[in-house]
Amino acid sequence: MLASLFLIGALTTTPQMAVQAASQTVVEDGSGGMTRAVNRMIGGIVSYARWPDGSSATPRVMCLVGTPRLSDRMAPDLPGPGSVTVRRTNASAVAPDCDILFLGRMPVADRRQLIAWVRGRPILTITDDDAACIYGAMFCLSNRAASLSFSVNIDAIGRGPLRVDPRVLRIGGGGGAS
Amino acid sequence: MTGPGSPAPPIERIGTRTTLQKLLSRFHFGITLFAVALSGLTILLAGVTALRGYADRNMELAAQLGAYGVEPALVFNDAQAAREGLEPLTRIPGIARLRVLNDVGRPLTQWTSPAADPAPLLTRIFFPRPFAVTVRRNGSAIGTIEVWGDSSTLIDYVRIGLLAGLGCLLITAFGTIFLARRFEYELVKPLNEIATVAHDVRLHRRFDKRVQSLGIAELDRLGGDINALLDELQGWQGNMESERALLAHRASHDTLTAMPNRDAFDEQLALRIQSAEDRSGRFALLFIDADNFKAANDNFGHAAGDAVLVALSARIKDTLRKGDFAARIGGDEFIVIIDPLDGDVRAEDLANQIRASVVEPVLLPGGETYRAAVSVGVALFPDSGSDATALLTAADAAMYADKMTNRSR
Repeated sequence: MLASLFLIGALTTTPQMAVQAASQTVVEDGSGGMTRAVNRMIGGIVSYARWPDGSSATPRVMCLVGTPRLSDRMAPDLPGPGSVTVRRTNASAVAPDCDILFLGRMPVADRRQLIAWVRGRPILTITDDDAACIYGAMFCLSNRAASLSFSVNIDAIGRGPLRVDPRVLRIGGGGGAS
Repeated sequence: MTGPGSPAPPIERIGTRTTLQKLLSRFHFGITLFAVALSGLTILLAGVTALRGYADRNMELAAQLGAYGVEPALVFNDAQAAREGLEPLTRIPGIARLRVLNDVGRPLTQWTSPAADPAPLLTRIFFPRPFAVTVRRNGSAIGTIEVWGDSSTLIDYVRIGLLAGLGCLLITAFGTIFLARRFEYELVKPLNEIATVAHDVRLHRRFDKRVQSLGIAELDRLGGDINALLDELQGWQGNMESERALLAHRASHDTLTAMPNRDAFDEQLALRIQSAEDRSGRFALLFIDADNFKAANDNFGHAAGDAVLVALSARIKDTLRKGDFAARIGGDEFIVIIDPLDGDVRAEDLANQIRASVVEPVLLPGGETYRAAVSVGVALFPDSGSDATALLTAADAAMYADKMTNRSR
């Protein structure tokens, strides 16, 4: 009952139309292939995001909440200068100094609370536990058929003060039809 | 300018000859063709060079655009996204092939134009290498995009250029024909006029012909020189003709009395006989001889004798009618032909008429007067003879008889 209510709420807040899975990153074979692909993808997304303060070289802090599904060795690989520090934390201890919030698998209530808390703050939200990308995270990673892809929730990005390069939005959202 | 009926020219001429107009037209066409070809080629080359510059920049811009478009795709190593990033480039004309390489040089995606290259050779000359732009993300190279151009835009330009050149050539041909016509009018016509005058003068001895004033200075000078030459020729011709007339007169006339001489008389007599025979007419031949002329000569001198002869001749001439003929055939011998002769005229009347004419005394240079007397013998054609010798013999005999009568008187 609660879940269905949440679903309805989620549907009203994040219309399905705005979410499309598109990216089709090739994942190399081998044990570390997925980890490398995930780190590279997160690095790419971070590099295309613009925070209201600072430049692309400013070090960013990624707060990791919950259990990541795709990789447990999170170390975002940024193309070019800049770095991302990963800090593991829990839903109740998330501080405003987080620039990036990675949402792994976690209770629905925690996720809801975190999404609500993020609204209006310059925080980039990425999840790997929402293949349809309907629960309010800005970027949703998913692996399908030996490839990693990401989807974009344009509504979620539009609500926050964070700016994302439209080319990434296009990759993550526009090309889903093809 | 050799006429049809002219004698063989002294200088050997070249067999096939062209007209000045054709020559000018040919030269004109050649020069214009050269100029048009040269300028056309220059413009075409300049155009191709400029176009190549534009094509290069086009390729470069396309490569930059492609680099921007495929940058996230390279970041995410996403072939599908790379294809989509290249999509705007595939609509740009003049691009044959595109390729996106990742940071280790492996191709992420590539695209080849479905349209065949219209001129592979031109493509090889103008775009021997692809344009490669390194895709950078925050300063580090993450891949390369390569763009190959093709000759489609160049081919269009060259085709239009050649067509325009052909059009220019056509216009040139027409212009040259027009100019050649103008040349004929401006240059060949005056030359023809000079030639016509020269031809007329040579063939028909029309020394009064002159070249008109001409519009071109050099030709006008030539015409003027020819006119001056014709003036001289005309002068010579006139002199020659008058001298010839003088010589002819001298040959047939007696210098002292200016009467026709023996030769002219013989000729005239033959003509008169012929004419009288043809019309069955008659004429009289009077043989006149001065009496005692030798004595006058001896008494008063040769000048006086000459004066007597001149006076005699003048008086004989005075008796002549229109158509009659008088000649001095010897020292003091004169002949008169009375032609035509009326039927009722008697020979004796004619002789008396002459005798009467010389009765008046002649004033000599010395102041004296001399009364001349003549013996006259008449012969009639055809009564006294039907040929010159017979007539002369008859007249001479009659004169001699008359002289005898005079002496006895």
